[in-house]
Amino acid sequence: MSIAQIADEILWHRLKQGDKAAFSELFERYHASLTVYGNSLMSHPERVQDCVQDVFVDVWLYRHALSETVVVKAYLLSSVRKRIARLYQRDNVFRQTTSLESLEFLLDFSVEEQLIADEETATQVSQLNRLINNLPARQKEAIYLRFHQGLSIEQIGEMLDINYQSVTNLLHRAIQHLRKAWKGDLTLLALFIYRML
Amino acid sequence: MQKRDQYHTIEDFLTDISFQRWIREGENHENWVEWSLENTQRAKLVEEARLWILATAVPIPPKNLTQTALQNTWDKIQLKEKEAEPTFASSSNRFWWWSAAAIVIVGLGIGWVFYQQNQTKEPLLTYSELISQTAEGLIEQTNNTNKPQLITLSDGSSVLLYPKSKLSYPRSFAGRERKVFLLGEGFFEISKNPQKPFLVFSNEVVTKVVGTSFRIRAFSNQPNIEVTVKTGQVNVASNDLITKAEKKSVTLLPNEGIRFLRQALSFEKMATLPNKDVSAPSTYEIEQVNFEFSDTPVSQIFAILEEAYLLEINFPAEKLKDCYLTTSLQDQPLPEKLKIICESLGKNTRYEMNGNQIIILSNGCN
Repeated sequence: MSIAQIADEILWHRLKQGDKAAFSELFERYHASLTVYGNSLMSHPERVQDCVQDVFVDVWLYRHALSETVVVKAYLLSSVRKRIARLYQRDNVFRQTTSLESLEFLLDFSVEEQLIADEETATQVSQLNRLINNLPARQKEAIYLRFHQGLSIEQIGEMLDINYQSVTNLLHRAIQHLRKAWKGDLTLLALFIYRML
Repeated sequence: MQKRDQYHTIEDFLTDISFQRWIREGENHENWVEWSLENTQRAKLVEEARLWILATAVPIPPKNLTQTALQNTWDKIQLKEKEAEPTFASSSNRFWWWSAAAIVIVGLGIGWVFYQQNQTKEPLLTYSELISQTAEGLIEQTNNTNKPQLITLSDGSSVLLYPKSKLSYPRSFAGRERKVFLLGEGFFEISKNPQKPFLVFSNEVVTKVVGTSFRIRAFSNQPNIEVTVKTGQVNVASNDLITKAEKKSVTLLPNEGIRFLRQALSFEKMATLPNKDVSAPSTYEIEQVNFEFSDTPVSQIFAILEEAYLLEINFPAEKLKDCYLTTSLQDQPLPEKLKIICESLGKNTRYEMNGNQIIILSNGCN
């Protein structure tokens, strides 16, 4: 079995024992998507890159203290998020006038233009895209972590420190809004968003 | 593959990598299509999940940087491991510790001198430095003509950008604030949105509003930055980048102005607003225009707008010849002004805007 096929958890275990190859493999697996995620939280690519690398530096330096049972991807995403949050707190540059008690997910989803052939789909998709992008940043971030990073609902809740009830309320309002605004069949969609968090 | 028979929410599909691969890369196409069409309820779910995936694309991660980043990370690790080592040094080389400490102290001294010099010689923060701090994709517009140019922003705000000036702004405003960057002179009319303050970064000064009109003059070769307010309330502060410790800020009301002295890093109230300046006839012009209209022919309102914003407005003069309006347009950005006029004229009137060309489409007023 080549190293590329070995499960995250096993690599993590090896890394803890000081296996450099395992460390490098995990780095190669997640570096790019951690970078995209970091860039969605702070529009300063160099700092984001530093944060991502520093997360790995710490993983290696403190490998003995790491928990044996983690979901590696969730752990790394969450570490990047925390690091960027700390940077915001420390750094006046980004706190111009409003205080940033929490990070804001800045990424706008785009439309898969090249996969759309007919006009009707194009209209529906662009409408849906606009509605989703107009959701509060928190909800967009949850959507991103759930479907693009494949995290579980529990992991997302932990990561974003979400108060379930208040998010549910927020979502309820968002759905009312989506339902009014989207001309397509939204019953199922609404149900689904509601269930998501 | 069998678990998909149990799917009953869109979420089930969206978290299934093989489903995502089908939509994005066409993998296993026939099989998925056949399976989807087995019953209508399922087909509907699949279609909604498909639309969702098409509507939520994210940037493709740049894989090519990974190797460099990995190398970099190992270097950092090595450095940190070295830093950690001296803690184990034995007492026999205490001498080295003392010399090392002495060098550090000398180093600090030299650093201090440099710091002081930098503080006094170059307190200036330039437009290009500010731009380099962001990295969001900004559109930059430069006015190389000898007349002000009109820029309308995605939030409905409008900016008159004066000659020899530059404005950088995003195609659309993401996030919690609306941020733009100015070099030179601009007159801003900002659409109201208390949830999303509008910030203008101009050299060392940050001007913050929620919806109002004001003018900023911040040329790189001028010793002062001036902010003057026409309507609403404006907060002007020094940029944290240069005055971290003692941030200064002032709130301005209509017809007030402030001058920021770039060398002293301090604010100075402007005694009276400069009226028409003979040496620079274009300056402060739009603030003098009266946008209060009482029973005014619409053609005249258009003429006033044309002059104030340097526009070209085409309208069906014959159809609108008997239309008069009473309205106050003192406090709105240009798109908002045009919208109000069109709405006042009646249902079948609207406008189209293309740079400084405005076309009014109308069948007359009611």
